[in-house]
Amino acid sequence: MNGFSAACAALLAIAPLAASAQAQSTPSAPDPRLGAPRGAPLSGTALDARTDEVGSLLRCPVCQGLSIADSPSTTARNMKAEVREKLAAGYDREQILAHFERSYGEFVRLEPRMRGVNLLVWLGPLAALVGGAGVVTLFLRRSRPAASARHDGATPSTLPARDAVPDDRRLAAAVRRVRELAYGWPGGLPPQPPATSS
Amino acid sequence: MPSQQVTGSAPVRAARLNAKVLLAGLVVVVPLLAVLVANLGRDPHSVRSPLIGRAAPPFSLAPVGGGAPISLQSLRGRPVVVNFWATWCVPCFEEHAALTAAARTFSDAQFLGIVYEDEESRTQAFLAQHGSAYPSLVDSDGKTAIDYGVFGVPETFFIDRDGRIVEKYVGPLGRATIATLLARSKGSSP
Repeated sequence: MNGFSAACAALLAIAPLAASAQAQSTPSAPDPRLGAPRGAPLSGTALDARTDEVGSLLRCPVCQGLSIADSPSTTARNMKAEVREKLAAGYDREQILAHFERSYGEFVRLEPRMRGVNLLVWLGPLAALVGGAGVVTLFLRRSRPAASARHDGATPSTLPARDAVPDDRRLAAAVRRVRELAYGWPGGLPPQPPATSS
Repeated sequence: MPSQQVTGSAPVRAARLNAKVLLAGLVVVVPLLAVLVANLGRDPHSVRSPLIGRAAPPFSLAPVGGGAPISLQSLRGRPVVVNFWATWCVPCFEEHAALTAAARTFSDAQFLGIVYEDEESRTQAFLAQHGSAYPSLVDSDGKTAIDYGVFGVPETFFIDRDGRIVEKYVGPLGRATIATLLARSKGSSP
């Protein structure tokens, strides 16, 4: 009960404020083509920030792939002024985008809407990524067992034993000499492990 | 064992793989090529106006040099030709004579110029020098141009007696084109 009355009091306190804000920041009459404003009227820094945000979603019609927030052209400046005016009157982002879309077509939206053929633009790259990952996984799976089988089978049989020497006598002597010099094995023969001798 | 099998059938397998890769490549490339070829003749800058067939956006603008504002609403009942132009636009200069002549010939239609991103003094000087058979209006904040989705000049809108946009023409108009498009905007509402 206490909370409820507090909420009522807060609402009563805010109501005149909200009404005065509405009256202050609607310099032009609401545009009948846009319907009733769905958002709160903006002013000050909030209005500046929101103008930039909505402006960055609108394509400058006289530029090449620039948003009206980024373009210095007169058309972009005029469009920004209109965005600002509509935001100050309380229209929300979608209402403003729809307003410009009515005259310029969907072309004016820098981000195409997620529907119809446009879904291809949004989901195409994702599908390609998933498909590509699938192909890569398939290739890896197919090549790994073959490679590991070859490796396991090859290791013991192809690597020569420590004391193995070529059949050729001169070559065998050379190999032993190299082993003697490189490893310090006397006579080129590997030292016998002490565990096996006793 | 498996390694021997692989080496034995390697050429056969490579050939089969190539056919598969080729098919996959075609699946990707052919639709892409089809889209490209289909759009080869299309001007990427021409975007069909969503306003065609819809009610023309209303405006009430003062003529160049001052005077009472002219509103589109007040012209209901007559076909209206709205031409967006500027003195800095060379094609606009070329079509100015054709539009002036057409405005004299088709006196049942109302021709209107709307000045796009230009200074009023320069426009006034241009009109004084070249003459005009119809008023040109000042759209100082560019709102009307935005409402009409103007991408550049010259762009011309043909509006029928009921205030509906029948046609949008991008580029300089010749006399024959004006006659054809005007007939279309008259014909839609007998």
